[in-house]
Amino acid sequence: MSKPEDSLKSKGAVISAKTGAKESIIDFLKKAMDKGVFDAVLISMRVPAGDSFAYVLIKDKSLLKDAFPLPPVMSVQGAKAVSSVTRLGKGNMKIAAVMRPCETRATVELAKLGQTNLENITLISIDCPGVLPISDFTGEPNKSMKLFDDAAKKWDDKIMRPVCQICDKSSMVAGDVHIGIHGAKKDTFFIISNSQKGNDVLDKLDITLKENIDSWNAKVKNISEEKQKKRKKTLKDLKSEVGGLDNLLDTFSQCINCHNCMKVCPICYCRVCYFDSDKVKHPPEDYLQRAKNKGSIRFLPDTTLFQTGRMLHMSLSCVSCGACEDVCPVSIPVAQIFSMIADETQGLFDYVSGRDLKESLPLLAYKEEELHEVEDAND
Amino acid sequence: MERKIGVYICECGPNIAEKVDIDKVIDAVSSIDGVVVAEKYKLLCSADGKKFLEEQIKKQGLTHLVISACSPKDHEKTFMEVCENAGINPYLFQLANIREQCAWITEDKDEATKKAIRLTKAAIKRVRYHASLEKKEIDSNPDVLVIGGGIAGIEASLQLVSPDRKIYLVEKTSSLGGLITNYEKTFPSMEPGSSIIKQKIQDLNNDENIKIFTDSEVEETIGFFGNFEVKVKKITDVEEAAEFDVGAVVLATGSTLFDPKKAPQYGYGKFDDVLTSLEFEKMNLSGGISLKNGKPPKSAAIIHCVGRNEKGYCSEICCMYSLKFVRYLKDKIPNIKVSNFYSDLCIPGKSHQKFYEQTKGNNVDFVRSSDVEVTKKGDKLDINYKNETGSKNNIPVDMVILAPAIEPTSDAPKLAEITSISQGDGGFFSEEHEKINPVSTSTEGVYIAGGAQGPKDIPKTIIQAEAAAGKILSSLIPGRKIEPEVKTSQISESLCIGCKLCLSVCSYGSITFDEAKKISVVNEVICRGCGNCVAACPSGAASVKHFTFNQLYQELMEAVQ
Repeated sequence: MSKPEDSLKSKGAVISAKTGAKESIIDFLKKAMDKGVFDAVLISMRVPAGDSFAYVLIKDKSLLKDAFPLPPVMSVQGAKAVSSVTRLGKGNMKIAAVMRPCETRATVELAKLGQTNLENITLISIDCPGVLPISDFTGEPNKSMKLFDDAAKKWDDKIMRPVCQICDKSSMVAGDVHIGIHGAKKDTFFIISNSQKGNDVLDKLDITLKENIDSWNAKVKNISEEKQKKRKKTLKDLKSEVGGLDNLLDTFSQCINCHNCMKVCPICYCRVCYFDSDKVKHPPEDYLQRAKNKGSIRFLPDTTLFQTGRMLHMSLSCVSCGACEDVCPVSIPVAQIFSMIADETQGLFDYVSGRDLKESLPLLAYKEEELHEVEDAND
Repeated sequence: MERKIGVYICECGPNIAEKVDIDKVIDAVSSIDGVVVAEKYKLLCSADGKKFLEEQIKKQGLTHLVISACSPKDHEKTFMEVCENAGINPYLFQLANIREQCAWITEDKDEATKKAIRLTKAAIKRVRYHASLEKKEIDSNPDVLVIGGGIAGIEASLQLVSPDRKIYLVEKTSSLGGLITNYEKTFPSMEPGSSIIKQKIQDLNNDENIKIFTDSEVEETIGFFGNFEVKVKKITDVEEAAEFDVGAVVLATGSTLFDPKKAPQYGYGKFDDVLTSLEFEKMNLSGGISLKNGKPPKSAAIIHCVGRNEKGYCSEICCMYSLKFVRYLKDKIPNIKVSNFYSDLCIPGKSHQKFYEQTKGNNVDFVRSSDVEVTKKGDKLDINYKNETGSKNNIPVDMVILAPAIEPTSDAPKLAEITSISQGDGGFFSEEHEKINPVSTSTEGVYIAGGAQGPKDIPKTIIQAEAAAGKILSSLIPGRKIEPEVKTSQISESLCIGCKLCLSVCSYGSITFDEAKKISVVNEVICRGCGNCVAACPSGAASVKHFTFNQLYQELMEAVQ
């Protein structure tokens, strides 16, 4: 688990937001496009039918007015969008990617895995109030929109997804620029820089970072600590429900092998998932033999193998964004389970996925002194 | 194609026959689909056995061969040759080890037989999924780059050179010979150091197939076993550089001394007449042993193990050369009193004990001590120490000779990087395997010899140089093509997503990244088939031939069911 201090920064700028936070953020982006700081903005927008949101790469700045910097649902994990435009190289457009902190962190993680090139990307994150479960929203979009707005204003997470309710990194600054809403006076928000690139961008916009942001730091620390308490309790309960082989098999026995969780996961970057490949499609006679040996065999087989295998492949980079749980048609608490495992696997290496581009992926960093506790466990 | 699998079970004399009920194994496997023959034989690796197998393969028209016998380490190659001679691809064969893994590990014949059946069945299952693999041959360059012109490099060069093999010897100083040129005599024979080296240097200089670069450094070795491109740069003249191709590299960069200033208790650099062993050798060689004031010392202390705690290893040779120093001192100044301060006296070797016996006594002391410290008392140096019982003592002396730990030369990290080999304990170059491959490294075609691999005396240095030369002579034969590893990794172009995880785990530098296609590419000539990339690849794009997922899975499922 990360420390609440991980999110804290020293200085920032106070931006006026008389027209409302959303509009002011859009104004900020528009100004940046006017000045040529960005050629395009990757940001969420409501789909024409109104019942969902999608990432849109906006080149025509007049379209920015319809953008939603903090959409009520995560229909696409933003890191996937950034990867789509930069996976083969930096490209020739300077792009601002406006996303939630977990999406920013997933993008950073993908950069480490060679799936995004951030040279021309400025990652802009915003204090996140959480998102609604996708199915809640699509059922009644207009009503949900209002509920979300009201809840977001009060930072009330009761209607948000369960994994958002226990998110202790909802203000973690991992990108270049962060927009802080917590602790800001009425009709203002904070702008915080987290990199040289961030400094340069703000410099070009004549935004100087000399204001005290103690009120943001204090509020963020407070929220992180509260969420951590809740997280600890929730995950403890979850562990008792799903821990151990029998519970694990029970939990994943509902899995229908649709692999939706893998398809929406930003970290599952493989061209073809190992568990979709021929390597796990065994010859029919094998299944007959397995039935013979064990007395019976379930079809489709290997659902738990898929879940634990995917966990093994991606938990060190999991950002607990919750996209997987949103799409599970049989309501397995996948995100909460994976998030719990991620806490433990990342904790082993004192690693927090997406926290810092410079931090090496744990399995690629060789340290002579580490994991002694694992050795001890075998004594 | 219809598979015709032949299964042969070796009795290995009494070795397997006494512990495994071979007839039961034959019963258990002969009705398996595809198995056309299952038989036993007394000793399959014998000349008769091989002939029998060859005839069987031909007579039965076998397409696949399974043998249950000994460890693949023993006879896999033998039986693969049999396959080749009989006209089937040697990779359509599988060896089940029912000797080391069954017969030799239990007294219970029943258990051994059961396991032998499982392993044989697993081998039959696996062989069905085997694919023919073809040997590749590539041209090779027989020439050799030898880095370091000390005794190891000189010896390796002389062993390797021939009219059809050029040697490029690169030495960073201005002359050949290395450390040995400083030694008046060598232990235990007390032969002059020059007698060992002079003739060899002359032979080198006279051989037109040896090109010597002095004052030079190797800048680059790019390529793989049989085909390295080398760049050498003159240290004294940046403009002067040479480029040439070789097939193998011998790293013989030797060793140097631990800097005793890092252990200030010995007063080195602070007091006059405190010398390192090498300074003492040089003084002795250049004419006489004397103090700073020009007078001969009446007493001397030799302090062993300087820096051993800091380095964390015993440097092997210091005790013996310290004894040699006693001889130097006694030869030149017969009345001198010499005290050796040591913590453990390490003098292994068939002639060394005698040398020690003949050296001690006659005003020569060996003091087992700890917490040794050198101070100045009047015009004398004072050795303060604790003796074996822990009580404090001191002895005044005129001269102190330190025996510092041996460490690799300062250019070792750079050369390790250039040749993609690793450095192990103490920064010495790592051998591929301490026992099985003591002079090979993780890069095929790069060998190590002498002090660069670890502290070593002259005989051991020469043994290693000759071993490295032998390795090259037997594998890099002029005019003969080399056969790279067949069981290499392959990365599927359609599955690779370009995350580069494999690049960072490849120990042999055999994976490169195709920037145009954004995928990883294996150089099959360099790849040794270790499988690290397979383990790292999350999408299963990497696999090792002959150890594919399916082959292992099928074998395993059969073995455990």
